[in-house]
Amino acid sequence: MKKKLLALMMVMSMTAGVLTACGGSEADAGDAAPAAAEEEATEAAAPEEEETTDLGGVSDDPNTLTVAAWDANFNIPALEAAAAAYKTKNPDFKLEINTVSGSSDVENAVTNAAQASDYSTLPDIVLFQDHWIQQYVSNYPGAWQDLSGADIDWSDFGSEKLSYSTIDGVHYGAPVDNGTAIFAYRTDILEECGYTIDDVTGITWDRWLEIGRDIKEKTGKYLLSMDHSGDDLPYMFMQAEGLSQWKDGDPDIAGNETYQKILQVIVDGANDGVILLCNSWSEYTDESIVGDQVAGVMNGNWIIPTIKQVAENSGKWELTTIPTLSGKEGYASNGGSSLYITANCKNLDLAQDFLAYTFGGGEGAIETYDNALKNGGVITCCISAGKSSVYQEPDEYFNGQPIYADIVAMGANVPVVEQNDFHYNLRTAVGTAITNATEAGGGSDLAAEIQAAQDDIVRQMNL
Amino acid sequence: MTDKRNKSAIQRRLIPSYIFLVIVCFISVFPIFWMVTAATNNTVDIARGKIWFGDQALNNLRALISAASSQGAGTSLGRFMGNSFFYALTQTVLSIFLCSLAGYGFELYHDKAKDRLFGILLLAMMVPGVATLIPLFVMMSKLGFINTVTGFILPTIATPFMIMMFRQNSRNFPVDIMEAARIDGLSEWAIFFKMYMPIMKSTYAAAAVITFMNAWNAYMWPRAVMTKNSAQTMQILLTNLSNGYVIDYGLLMMAVLFCSIPTMVIFFIMQKQFAEGITGAVK
Amino acid sequence: MNKKKRTVTRKQQFAGWVFLAPATLLIIIMSFYPMVQAFITSLKTGSGVNLKWGEPLFVNYTRNIPADKIFIRSMGNTFLYLIIEVPIMLVLALLLAQILNNRDLKFRGLFRTMVFMPCAVSLVSYALIFRTLFAREGLINSALMGMGLISENINWLGTTGTARAVIIIGLIWRWTGYNMVFYLAGLQNIEYSVYEAAKIDGASGWKTFWSITVPLLKPTIVMTAIMSINGTLQLFDESVNLTNGGPANTSITMSHYIWNEAFGQGVGHFGYASAMSFVVFVMVAVLAAINMKVGDSRD
Repeated sequence: MKKKLLALMMVMSMTAGVLTACGGSEADAGDAAPAAAEEEATEAAAPEEEETTDLGGVSDDPNTLTVAAWDANFNIPALEAAAAAYKTKNPDFKLEINTVSGSSDVENAVTNAAQASDYSTLPDIVLFQDHWIQQYVSNYPGAWQDLSGADIDWSDFGSEKLSYSTIDGVHYGAPVDNGTAIFAYRTDILEECGYTIDDVTGITWDRWLEIGRDIKEKTGKYLLSMDHSGDDLPYMFMQAEGLSQWKDGDPDIAGNETYQKILQVIVDGANDGVILLCNSWSEYTDESIVGDQVAGVMNGNWIIPTIKQVAENSGKWELTTIPTLSGKEGYASNGGSSLYITANCKNLDLAQDFLAYTFGGGEGAIETYDNALKNGGVITCCISAGKSSVYQEPDEYFNGQPIYADIVAMGANVPVVEQNDFHYNLRTAVGTAITNATEAGGGSDLAAEIQAAQDDIVRQMNL
Repeated sequence: MTDKRNKSAIQRRLIPSYIFLVIVCFISVFPIFWMVTAATNNTVDIARGKIWFGDQALNNLRALISAASSQGAGTSLGRFMGNSFFYALTQTVLSIFLCSLAGYGFELYHDKAKDRLFGILLLAMMVPGVATLIPLFVMMSKLGFINTVTGFILPTIATPFMIMMFRQNSRNFPVDIMEAARIDGLSEWAIFFKMYMPIMKSTYAAAAVITFMNAWNAYMWPRAVMTKNSAQTMQILLTNLSNGYVIDYGLLMMAVLFCSIPTMVIFFIMQKQFAEGITGAVK
Repeated sequence: MNKKKRTVTRKQQFAGWVFLAPATLLIIIMSFYPMVQAFITSLKTGSGVNLKWGEPLFVNYTRNIPADKIFIRSMGNTFLYLIIEVPIMLVLALLLAQILNNRDLKFRGLFRTMVFMPCAVSLVSYALIFRTLFAREGLINSALMGMGLISENINWLGTTGTARAVIIIGLIWRWTGYNMVFYLAGLQNIEYSVYEAAKIDGASGWKTFWSITVPLLKPTIVMTAIMSINGTLQLFDESVNLTNGGPANTSITMSHYIWNEAFGQGVGHFGYASAMSFVVFVMVAVLAAINMKVGDSRD
């Protein structure tokens, strides 16, 4: 009997031990881990190393802000540049940058925090993807603080970029990068086939396909590639026409003649070996672009560092605008993100002042954006910052073209088109339509496929 | 003389086995070989499919160390490795103890009620994790376990799978010796510690390898519950490094190497235990 | 005497409950409680925190799921993987375990480790390796081309049949060694002398395999079968990382689609995603129950 009791007690203490002792105390595992690996789990946690950086959490220090962002080669250098610039104004300022793997980490952290109704796991500021912010503001209105108190001259920004982060007339985000789309061509390959960069500027898609077939025949190279798991070309093509895939909150693709013509360009391009449809993002960047399979690249300008990875192609690239159905020069944008202040930010004044002074076009804007460009290749969409001398410098890789000034100029022409929360759902559905309409995918009727895509999106919107 | 001839005859009979194994091992190991060589190449070479050793190993290592330390305050390659080891070891020890105890209880003291309960417990693993992710996160957040080792391991210390492993493997446990031990006056606990544990050594070893591997490779739950970078693991570092507009594959494959070696080493050390254990050592 | 025996049994019964209590309690708190909450969520529609009760309550189950062609397709894909992959993998794992259990074999430890290695490799590199090998200009195509088996590069990951095949190959590659571990451990509980005796009797390798290994390992085989069914019906990693469900959703798995609906596209349809999860749950539970019924008898 005694033994039984003992056994029972052991089990209970065991369970209790599991539930509490091994790290349930305030000390966090992160601190404890390396030291405590031996035994004494949390007791060994050294309080001296108490940290502040946290996708979860903010600092008590009045001069410190925390921010979560992704991409060590792109956005992070931009944030570092801003932090350095703001130190001129506030020498005690400290920006704790927490790297995450991508936009989905921030999105999921916001989702989790909102579901738990506890925003204390969020940092002061998050970088957030433009296409998704509207959805997240409407789904989780309590997670954000607006920027009304910030001293930002909004007219200094491209209206297209602001159309994402402005919700019901309220500004929520401070723009970081500029998603203006570029169409870059390998001029050496064009030349080999008897074309110049001017021959592919301001042309119709039909003419473009002709040139593409010619190049494929002569050199074996594709004129364009697309990440067919993301399917972003239709959006950009439509924007270049000045149109959206949405109308008054509903998908506007079935029975839309322009849209069908645009998808037909992609389907024809894929059938004729002009457009390479890649199965994944890595196939798109690593095989098609770095692997030298294409003579042209069209995407948001953030694709430029990928192109530049191939050192031996220096001087062979030039960039221009996008073809359209009518032959006028087309402008579009893709990707891009902005900085948003979360509900967890206790020091709203500091956060607003920091954003206004740096990314928002304040006194530190030139320094911020110049260094962001030099260290991360981040191009501003702040019009006055784009006039700095750094932007005018010719780029050797692009045959001496002052590409950054060109991109900022192009950015001003990007038309504002209707956005929708179901942007990515539509992309996925249209991707399926494209696959099925190509010869490799069975060559089914494009109009019917677009109708099926529309139906699927409507179904999802009603879930 | 006859012994020798016998031996070579045995080996001759094993030739088909050797051939089969060599083929299987080639298929198993070739992609891993590629991973090792990739860690010594630069990113453009890797993207273009080079499969032999290069001279970039040191550069990749240096880049990895600096990339790991720039993930946020208090982060470093050592910290990520340390976290991974700490979580995985804690989970392994607690998990195999609790689950073997339960498996022992379920099988060697089995009756109708216990069998039925076990069937119900199995249901716990059948709902996709996507559905329970948010409720679980909310629970951990309310309990204050976000960013703690408790939050990391608690949902996975007791798994129906591990209990089942011990339960099924106990099926061949020599029950007679339990009776004998009882007559000798051993308590049920003493039987567990003094007889069950040593006899089930091979199951314990296999369970340890599997649990360690699962904990070490865990990604979805840790990513949700470890919101603080300095509390995160190698797997999360790996994902951070493998996303972005421009990916450095040389650095990434070096990180992958760091991530894969511990499990392989642990397997190599433990495999003798579970593959050559001797049943019935305790008489 | 009789009476005494019964009390001892009851005492033992109680001890049994004590042993299984801690793990059982943890599972109830950490799995069943969230499951109940997920089930409640599955009765709701809408997205994010703006979830409303379904009208009618079971609308996700009765109307939304049957109308979802992609989910139906993902179900078909997942079952295809299950039917092809699980038997091949388990038989292969058993064979390897049997071969590697032979004490006359040299370099056993090395062979075992090499067979196990694939599942020690982290997912990121596994996906990267497979995508690179099966890329259009990848090694597999070059090799086949070199042998003259194909005349132009196959778009492995972009064609329906081959994309599914790559997923199945990937699964077998990664998980065979994992299952072998259970069999090897299980084989240790079989007296090795049984094999020696069979050898003396002149039984062939095949005969020993079918008449000794398989029957004696039955409890372990049942376990691995249930685990493989469970794992395959909840398959996620391969679909996401190797093919991203493509082309045109022809290789997407149920869990991958559920993830997309919940987290993957910015629109969190948590109610609908939970409802689909419970459909998966029912399918796994039925298959596992059949398995237990057929294989888990204590004879």
